[in-house]
Parts: sequence; C-alpha cells; structure tokens
Amino acid sequence: MHEYSLAQALLSGLQEHLRQHPIPGRVAKVHVRKGELLSLSEWALKEAWRILTEGTELSGSELVLESVPVRVRCPSCGYEGEARYLTEEGWHIAVPVLSCPRCRGPVEITEGRDLAIVGLSIEERL
Amino acid sequence: MHDITGSFGDVLQRQLELASQNFALLKQHGVRAVNVMGAIGSGKTELILRMAEKLRERGLRVGAIAGDVAGDDDYQRFRAAGLPALQINTGDQCHLDAHQVGHALEEFPLGEVDVLFIENVGNLVCPADFPLGADVDLVVISVTEGDDMVRKHPKMFAQTDVVAINKVDLAAFVGVDPERIAADYRKVNPHGRVVFTAAKSGRGVEELLSALGF
Repeated sequence: MHEYSLAQALLSGLQEHLRQHPIPGRVAKVHVRKGELLSLSEWALKEAWRILTEGTELSGSELVLESVPVRVRCPSCGYEGEARYLTEEGWHIAVPVLSCPRCRGPVEITEGRDLAIVGLSIEERL
Repeated sequence: MHDITGSFGDVLQRQLELASQNFALLKQHGVRAVNVMGAIGSGKTELILRMAEKLRERGLRVGAIAGDVAGDDDYQRFRAAGLPALQINTGDQCHLDAHQVGHALEEFPLGEVDVLFIENVGNLVCPADFPLGADVDLVVISVTEGDDMVRKHPKMFAQTDVVAINKVDLAAFVGVDPERIAADYRKVNPHGRVVFTAAKSGRGVEELLSALGF
C-alpha cells in the first residue's frame, strides 16, 4: 500500500547515485531485490515507477523485481538458512514462519525485509 | 547493453537506522515503548487506556502517542485520562514510520514517563513493514472483524510479538470463535503470545500487560 513512497525513495536514491557517478548511456532496467516479508504489490511498485520516472532521466526504464526469500538465524542451535513455510490449504500464499526449522526455537530474520536497487542494465548511446 | 551491479542503498535500511535511534533515545530516558497496531475500531485506544490505568496503579508513569491519518480524537481521549500525549497526523500515509516517531519523541516529555504507548494508524498491512523502535509490537484484533483476520494478513501476524483478541464478550453475538483466531496466529507465529481481552470490562488487561513484559 505504500508502493509510491518506496518507489520514490528508490528513485531519489538512484538519481543521487547517478549524479555522483554519471553513466554513458540510458538506464534500460533497474534491478531491485524485494524481501518476501514486505507487503508490497509488484504490480503497483512497477506502475508507481513508471509514473514517477516520467520526465526524469529514468523515464522508460523497467523495474525488474527479484523476490528475496526469508532467511533466519537461530541463536539457540546456530541454524542459518531458509525459513519454514506454512502451506496448508486455505492460506493461499506460503507464509514464512519465524521459528527455527531445526530446533523450533525463536529466530532472527537475516534476509527478507530488504528493498534495494542492486543493479542497472545500461544501453550504450551510439 | 551492459549491466552494472552494486549497492545503491536499501531504502528500508534508513528506516531501520531511524528506528534504532528512536530505541536508543527511549532507553536513554528509561522508557519502555509498545507499538500498538490493529484495524480501525479494533479497540486499540480503549485497551491502551485500560493498560495505562493498571500501570499507574503500580506507580508507573504512562504516556501515549496517537497516530492517525487526520483528527485528534484519540489524543483527546488520552489527554482526558490525564496522560501526557502527542498527536501525529500522517497526512494520508497509511502507517507511522520511524522518521515521524523520531520527531514526535523530540517533542515528547520523555522524562515524565516510564511507559509509552505508540498507537499506529488503523491498518493491518503497512505498519508491519515499518519498525518504529519500540520494545514490543502488539496487534489488537476484535472478534467483530471475523475469525479470518490472521489468515487474511498472515505476514503481519508472523512478525508480531503479542496479539490481543479484543471484545471477546461480543464473540457469541457475532458468531465468531476467538480460539480459531488464536489457533491461526499460533500457526504463523509459534513464539507469539495471545491474550483474550474485553477492554470495556477490563478483562484480560493484567494478562496482556504481563505478555508485553510489564
């Protein structure tokens, strides 16, 4: 529901980066990692990007989203890796459970809450 | 076409940093803070007022921050109960964020309170993505919302420490089984605490305080 404000934050950050590190060409694709725990609609994020970039140097660039699965760390048994998922019928989406898949203890989230630009695809100007 | 990879900054990382700053400021003043989330009409304000009464009986000083899109009704209720309070109007933003709370904490008389309730905007989707720097997160569900609230917002509940299932005295009237809501929550969050409350009558309030670490 807050796709526009986050798309704006991504855009401002990228514009600032491009001011400091100019590139010879047009940005065709902007690669973004999106943590699975975030309640963000991919469709709305892409639409927000399309509208917000109009009239900027990033106009026409495509936002490419990669969903980052939840990873957890267990302070009691030392497990580090993917979370367990609840996939029963009736939930419709696989829900990550923040509990250790090995010892069932409480865990810390190490990945899955991120929203970051991690790469650009550049079209060289001829 | 060629690709550049690298770090261009995580936009939510800034929120996490601001939340850590808020947490540090609260600790500096010895304040324990609760981020109270839940749908509109779930009973967040009433439950905060009831918890405040009990905490004050124990000699603790309690304050509240009211987060709403517009208006100051909740703020007025906190003031009428004698709590130091502050209103944040988010201006159409559907959640509080650490930046807004940070500014509120600068203005808030933190030296006058031991406990601070931060009432988030009524919404069950967005607040989960924005940590504020509180010690503990509480989500209030009322039975009148139906018994499917957890199944409709699983990610929110998977990340919530404590859930209050409120207005349980109305469960029979609306044909809702509070145990079903609790069972769903335990599935998505085996380490969370569930407390049945009826804020108007004060039922479950002591138990909720204990679940929140008071």
